[in-house]
Order: sequence, then C-alpha cells, then structure tokens
Amino acid sequence: MVMQARTAEQAAQLNVALNKKYKYFDYKWDLVFWLTAWPVVAAAADVTKLLFAGDWDFWTDWKDRQWWMTISPFAMIIIPSALQYIQWLAWKFPTGFTYTAVGMWAASWLGRWLQWDIFTGYPLNFVWPATIIPAAILADWILLKSRSFVLTSLLGSMAFTAAFWVANYVTLAPFLQPVEFMGSIVTLSDVQGIEYLRSATPEYLRIVEHGSLRTFLGETTLVAFVFGTTLAVFGYWVGQGIGRLLAIWPIGKFIKVI
Amino acid sequence: MATGAVATKSVGMEGSSAKVGYGPIDWMGGWKTCIFGTLALMVLAAVHWYYDSLYAWTVGIDAANPQFTKIFMGQFWVEVIAIGAGTGLWWGWLVRTGRRIVAKPITADEEVRRIAVFWGLISMTSMTLYVMASFWPNQDGAWHQTAIRDTAFTPPHIAMFYFWFPLGITMTIGTYLYGRYRLPKVYGAEKGFPWSFFFLIAASVTEMMQVAFNEWAHSLWITEEIFAAPFHWPFVTYGWLASGIFALWAETILRIMGIEKEVEDSATAAPAA
Repeated sequence: MVMQARTAEQAAQLNVALNKKYKYFDYKWDLVFWLTAWPVVAAAADVTKLLFAGDWDFWTDWKDRQWWMTISPFAMIIIPSALQYIQWLAWKFPTGFTYTAVGMWAASWLGRWLQWDIFTGYPLNFVWPATIIPAAILADWILLKSRSFVLTSLLGSMAFTAAFWVANYVTLAPFLQPVEFMGSIVTLSDVQGIEYLRSATPEYLRIVEHGSLRTFLGETTLVAFVFGTTLAVFGYWVGQGIGRLLAIWPIGKFIKVI
Repeated sequence: MATGAVATKSVGMEGSSAKVGYGPIDWMGGWKTCIFGTLALMVLAAVHWYYDSLYAWTVGIDAANPQFTKIFMGQFWVEVIAIGAGTGLWWGWLVRTGRRIVAKPITADEEVRRIAVFWGLISMTSMTLYVMASFWPNQDGAWHQTAIRDTAFTPPHIAMFYFWFPLGITMTIGTYLYGRYRLPKVYGAEKGFPWSFFFLIAASVTEMMQVAFNEWAHSLWITEEIFAAPFHWPFVTYGWLASGIFALWAETILRIMGIEKEVEDSATAAPAA
C-alpha cells in the first residue's frame, strides 16, 4: 500500500525510510509470514464453518432457503473479521477477509476432494463447499472505503450475506431444477440426497422448513437473509474479539511467575 | 536451572563466517527449518492419509474384526509410542542444550538465524494445526455420516485424535522451549510466561481434552446426524485460542527491529572509537 506524504517533512521522512538499508530485513520475512500463516488461518476458518454450520455446507440438498442462509454467513464471517482487524492494524491492508476466504477455499476443496470424494466416494457435485471469496472482497472494499470497523460490521456484514447468497446461487441453481422422480416432482438435489443416504437424512427431514416460514408467501429466503445478516453482524464482532483479545493484546505481555 | 542469566547484548558480526547462501536469512540457512520442516509434515500427512485409504473401508468399519486390531490398533500404538518418544526426546534436547547456551552472548547474526528457525517452528505449528483442525475433521465428518461409529477408535479418529492432536501439543510447547532458551531477549524466563504462548498452548491442550468430552457425549447422545452438534462447538472455541500465534510473529519481528538498531548504533559508534 502506498502512503502519500501530505507535507514536505513527511515526504522527507518517507524518503529516508524508503531508502534505508537494512542488514536483516528483506522480502523473505513478509513472504514467510503471508504463506505460513495461511494454514492456521484456513484451518480456523474451515473448522469454525464445519462445526457451526458444516452440515448445511456439505450437501446440495441441505443448501436450503432457511437454515443455510441463516447460519452460514455467521459461521463464515468470524475468522475473516479477525484477520481483517489484524491485517488492517499491522499493514493498513484491507485484505483480511479475502486472505482468509482464499485460504478457506483451498482448505475446503482439499477436504472435499480428498476426504469426501476420493476417500469416501461422494461425487464432488454433491459435496461442493460454498464460497465466500466474492463476499469477502466486498467486505474488504467496504473497510477500505469507510475506514471504520463499526460501519464495516453493519454494511460489510450485510453485503457479505447478500454476496454469499448471490455467488453461491450461481452454483446451486442447476441443482434446484425440478425433475420427476418415482412419481413425484422433486429437485435434482433431492435426488442426490435420496441416492446417497446419510446418517443425517432423517434428522434433516425433521428440521428443514417446518414452522410458518414454509407458508411465508415465498418470502422465506428474504426473511432468512435478513436474520442471517443480523447474525453476521454478531459474528463479525465475535471475530473482532478474537483478533483484538487473542491475537493482538498478548503481544509483549507476560504472566509474572511468582 | 539457569533462569536469571541471559545474553544481554547482541554483537553485530562484521565478516560473517557463514558460506554464501547459508547465512541467517538465506533460504538454505536460517529458513531451512521452515522449508524442510513444513514440507516433511505435508508428506507425513499425505502418507498417513494414503495408509488410511488403503484399509479404512475394508478393515476399519468393524472394530471386532481381528484385522482391525492388527491394522488400526497397531497403527494407534505406533502413533502413541512415536509421538511420546519423539516429544520426550525433542523437548529434552531443547531443555538440556538450552540450559547450556541460554546465558552465552551471541552475535546479531546468530540471533537473527534463531528467529528465522523460530519462524520455521511456527510454520510447522501452523501446518500441524491445519492438518488436525481441517484436513482430518473433513474425513471424520464424511466417515460418521456414512459408517456411523462403533468405538472411539475409528480410522479417522486414530489418525486425528491420537497422532495429529498430540503433535499440536508437541509443536506448541516445543516452540516455546526453543524461544525460552534460544531467544532469551524475547522469551527469557525472567520476563515471566508469555500470554501469546499461553493462548497457543492452551488451544492445543484443550483440543486434546475436548476429545474425551466428545467421545463421552457421543456415547451418551449417539448423535451422528448433525456434525454441527452443540457438543462439537468447544473444538471451535478452543481452536480460536490459537490466535496467539500472531503475537509470536509480532514479538519476534519487534526484536529484529531492535537488532537492526543495535547493529546500526554499533556501526555509527565504531569510527569514533
């Protein structure tokens, strides 16, 4: 990121810093940090998603208009928010969401390919993971423009949730096409769910789309989106707490030994 | 135990004795641990996964099968013995040699090389945390959705809970011991115990403890239907403690800035002396 000098004095200071010769600082420290932080960041993002909302990310027939839309943005915004705080604080880089999203993309796909597809035998077009990369770019852009974590938590979380739905709907739409199956009209994803029986199937049939949301005149997705947005704002601040209290606060602090 | 005396002054090395390409900040010098250590863990994870793939669906689905005892419980004991012995040897070596060198003055080159090695250990910790918290949980999720469970020792559990989870503890505490004895200006005993390591080590230890609660909870509620079950959530919240890893990078980069200043000051003072 290029800093712009506002005064001649600042320009002189920047010039000195720019041309300073260091004995030990070179590009390798940056490169090593950005590459080697990725595995732990990707793991944190992936496991937060897996264990908070994983079932809704595993299967196409679980990517529904009620629970998937509601809890996925919450589960998937937490770690990107922590990284957004860390990278903005350290470098003034509005890149934390995108950095985490790309890492989670790699970790999720490696897991789905090696463990769900090759190891267990589920086809990838049944177990593909949702992406948050477009949503993350948008959230980082909002921080860049607003320079405010409060505004990013409100507008960014809303944009994140909306972009999450739009970006993944492109992949999901073909699986929502109607087909006739054993005398009933169902979606292609329903057929996948019936063909690949899992321990989750009976439980899912019990919990999905019950209650009055089913009869909300087709507005279920909109209601789930709005509630998902409010949960995402909460998730954003959970992530900020992680970044501020667990990553940054401990720097240089010690527990005194008696 | 040498706790009080530490090297108090770094000395800038004027003509480094390191060969070209093997210096403190060269890839084949200080960064060697980072490159080869991290690659070794990736290869180990790949081999582990391949071995599991060979036998999981033929032998691994019935714990009462004698072949299960041979292939998977045999693997379990190899893992436990290897991780126990390897950890004891490595930690013992770090402490034994560390006590000898902690109080000796070192050059700036040597301190920077040690920080690069320290970053290599952080990289290995980062990779271990990925393998234990993302790579194997994916297999575990797929397994339980398909094969349910008949024991706490399923093929994914044997790899994940009894090798990679303990390896997380090995790496986090081992990295602290390296810093404690080789980087005394950052993590010397007289400063106290760093909060950064407290969080990072707590993450790996509480994850291991959560395994016991997890199996207990599964045996009580038999929930194979929902991977996002509430009693899985502590795996996530404990994992967040690993954020302390970021403080390690910050604390050591601040020390390098200090070394740069010391070298600069000694170079400025030299002509006048």
